[in-house]
Amino acid sequence: MLALSVASSSIVSGVLLGGMLALAALGLSIVLGVMRLVNLAHGDFLLVGAYAGFFFFTFTGVDPLLGLPVIALFVAALAIPVYRYLLQPLAERGAEAQMMTMFAISIILENVFVLAFSADTRSIGVSYAALPLTLGPVTVPLVYVIGFAISLVAILAVHWLIARTAFGRDLRASAADAEAAATIGVDVNRVRMLTFALGVACAGIGGTLIGTAFQFSPSSGGAYLLNSLAIVVLGGLGNVLGTLFGGLALGALQSVGGLALGDGYRDLVGMAIFLLVLAFRPEGFARGRR
Amino acid sequence: MKREKIAPAPREAAVILVAFAVLWFAPAFIGEYGLQLGFRTLIYLTLAEGWNLMAGSAGLVSLGTSCFVGLGAYVAYGLLNGLDLPLPAALVVCALSGAALAALVSPALFRLRGLYFTVGTLALAELLRLIMINVSAFGGATGFFLKNDPPALPILFRYALAVAVIAALAATLCVRTRASVILRSVRDDEDAAAQMGVRPFRVKLAAFMLASALAAMAGAVQAVKLGAIEPYGMFGLQWSIDVLTMVIIGGVGARLGPLVGALFVIALGEALADYPEAHIAIAGVILIVLIRFAPRGIVGLAAALGRAARGRALA
Amino acid sequence: MTANALKVCAAAIVVATTFGLASASADEIVIGASLPLSGPLAGFGSFQQWGYKRAVDEVNKAGGIEVNGKKEMVKLIIRDDKTDPNATASNTETLLSRDGAVAMLGSCTPALVNAGALVAERAKKPLVTGCDPLEAFKSVRNWKWVWDIFFDEPELANAELKAVQDWGAKTNMKLAIWHDNGPDGQVVGGKLWPEVAKSFGYEVVQNAEFPVDNTQFTSIIGEAKSKDADVVLVDAITPQAIAIRKQMAAEGYTPKVLNIEKGAEPVQFAEALGKLSDGVLVGGYWDPSFPYPAAADLSKAFESETKLSSSQHIADSYAAAQVLLDAIVTAGSTDAGKINAALAKTNKTYVVGPVKFDENHTAKLPIVALQWQGGKTVIVWPKSEKTGDFLFPLP
Repeated sequence: MLALSVASSSIVSGVLLGGMLALAALGLSIVLGVMRLVNLAHGDFLLVGAYAGFFFFTFTGVDPLLGLPVIALFVAALAIPVYRYLLQPLAERGAEAQMMTMFAISIILENVFVLAFSADTRSIGVSYAALPLTLGPVTVPLVYVIGFAISLVAILAVHWLIARTAFGRDLRASAADAEAAATIGVDVNRVRMLTFALGVACAGIGGTLIGTAFQFSPSSGGAYLLNSLAIVVLGGLGNVLGTLFGGLALGALQSVGGLALGDGYRDLVGMAIFLLVLAFRPEGFARGRR
Repeated sequence: MKREKIAPAPREAAVILVAFAVLWFAPAFIGEYGLQLGFRTLIYLTLAEGWNLMAGSAGLVSLGTSCFVGLGAYVAYGLLNGLDLPLPAALVVCALSGAALAALVSPALFRLRGLYFTVGTLALAELLRLIMINVSAFGGATGFFLKNDPPALPILFRYALAVAVIAALAATLCVRTRASVILRSVRDDEDAAAQMGVRPFRVKLAAFMLASALAAMAGAVQAVKLGAIEPYGMFGLQWSIDVLTMVIIGGVGARLGPLVGALFVIALGEALADYPEAHIAIAGVILIVLIRFAPRGIVGLAAALGRAARGRALA
Repeated sequence: MTANALKVCAAAIVVATTFGLASASADEIVIGASLPLSGPLAGFGSFQQWGYKRAVDEVNKAGGIEVNGKKEMVKLIIRDDKTDPNATASNTETLLSRDGAVAMLGSCTPALVNAGALVAERAKKPLVTGCDPLEAFKSVRNWKWVWDIFFDEPELANAELKAVQDWGAKTNMKLAIWHDNGPDGQVVGGKLWPEVAKSFGYEVVQNAEFPVDNTQFTSIIGEAKSKDADVVLVDAITPQAIAIRKQMAAEGYTPKVLNIEKGAEPVQFAEALGKLSDGVLVGGYWDPSFPYPAAADLSKAFESETKLSSSQHIADSYAAAQVLLDAIVTAGSTDAGKINAALAKTNKTYVVGPVKFDENHTAKLPIVALQWQGGKTVIVWPKSEKTGDFLFPLP
């Protein structure tokens, strides 16, 4: 039977980690909710953010977490031509065409990473990346707390954007019924483009957080895609706050699974929960559709 | 609505059987390299026919192919190593186990529609892969080795051929008979079909079980040829993705889609083999171009060009 | 339908003709290699590619190899197997059939090596690999055509604990083992290390297993910390090794001795962790400071040519290729049987040390204990070969 401190530290770490991953998952959720697109390149856009953060830190010496707005804009800028030239022409076709296009982008990105940056495993080495934070019996990595805080702020910002601004209203209208939205004057195409950029930017800064707290290499993207899918399904497609709760829940449950069965079973527990939720409540647990 | 000229099932089955007979003797006049490529194409073709049945005819887009490929591989090794069963018998058991697993997970999976179904199959495949890696009774990450040496390439080629022919005949049966109408009704509008007396669950289950049985057999033959199996190779997502790519390139729902797709993917792989560092990026670009300009796959593109040519000829 | 069928047949004939065209050229000795150049093991693949190419380029610069009385150039054809054993197997097949390879150089890690080696064995063509632990290699079958130059897993277990003992480092004799569930992880961490630890008098307080691509080690670390283990032995690949070291620090757990096999080998480990890599022990089968021909230059050449950080794998791949090329020179022919016989007689010192194959087709590279200090590896055991002092406890 494990000591209380080990168990409580594990669970708190899990919750914090889940909150960080929720930011990355948010990108997937928004894109899925508005464009009905499973962005198979999600994990790789995450890596774009991680590499961007790495080189930002290496060349400017400035903490990448301070440079997040710059990184977000950079990744969003990359997303726009992808949407304009690759996704927009396929808008009228079935979901598979866009999904396969994103898959193609994913493998192209992975190859480009290897060619440009080598297959070496990288880690963004900020000074606080490996410091513990102890409060009573609970010890968690300091960077998790920082990452969680940033993630929370970003998610709330996106929530505010979608719930309270004109753009957000247009976004919700396009997601609910694109044809109806078009008839009332919403430029659905522009909304989709900006939504895609927003989703990819969330993935990107989520990636920078992950690159700071952990490590990454050109092939790490796939695992984060699956993780994000699980969180999105738990929280409900397109539901911003739901994604946050989904992340927290998954993080906690994975920690419990890790404590009970061993850390090797974390991913397995995650997948099992994912399947159970899909089977019994595919629309997620959060109340309300948006 | 376009009316397809449907060839009756017997004529198509005859074509397939003739091809079978001719290719049976291929080892006599095709070299080593041709047989190797032929083997891979036949394995891919089997997987693609099954997948096309599920997606094109029944509307079930699956990312779970790797599940059944791996299952077939491990069951085959268990039978061949443990019970010394002859390969044909082992293949039958593999097919049955593939169908059984499909039946087992279908109540949960079929609650999901559309996108959720696809994601669900992906989660299932990943879950099974993680179980195989973690549970040491199934060999863990080391996997298993085939006790006896596998048969020579010509014989393995013929096994792959037989399995592919079974797949093709099964597809013909589903697509060129009245069964196709039932399948398409479930694909196009499940609720309406139910109102007309069709039982959507059973129809989807039949397609899923058939595709899974085929995938398990293909996995078994591939595993025997390799001589060594482990979870990353046999339960890896690359199987699911390759098969999806193939059929999309060939043309989802088109009768010749799987064949054209499999040939194209294998040929492309060989053509790009001389660029080991960039071949994946190049393949990605080609995929994007194809998706953009050939929405119904190569078969669709060929058909459209054919129609355009006929149109010009008449003008 | 008939028109479509005819179109498909025509296309099939075109495709078949393309397939049938062999690309073997008459006056070259073709050597094939299937390597992971993409996917999770792309790191290993790039090192191996460099090592293999260097050996072949050197031979070609010296005028090639004389076979059957004529000097011919060596052509190295490399295919990417995407870290997929299915691809390794099919690449090996086509390299032998389409490209006419007379011999093969192996991929890396047991699953990939096995896939290619089984093909070569059945085709009766020689294959030399420098990247497959010996016990894992021997456990597959009695090889007739495949040869392995690498280290022996039981030695890995011994070296580090002997180092601690020989330097007289005092610990509370409580030891934790964390290993991945890959083939050598399960053997080294699951079987060998517990036995060796007990023989040195340690109490094994924890033996935890995790999947090769695991990212979270919170409860494993927590358990070792609560059980107060002074010595931790880890067997994991580089991304996990980096994660483990970082998460240990972030959880406030610093044992006195930390040994990370496999993952802590390459320079990227130290680069990713900076100061956190100091004091980490790793078993080494090669180091630029070894007293063998061209050892020191090899690392420098790699780093200046590729602008990447180095790894022990540049040496084992370079040596494996040289061993194969030397065997072809000795055989004086491209006949598979003759090359195989020549490989059996290999007895020379290469950049990794003396190479001589035993009856199991293995050539053992002895392990030394290396320790990361200031971004460089220092040999700390055997003491007779040390290039620096043992840093204890872990900073």
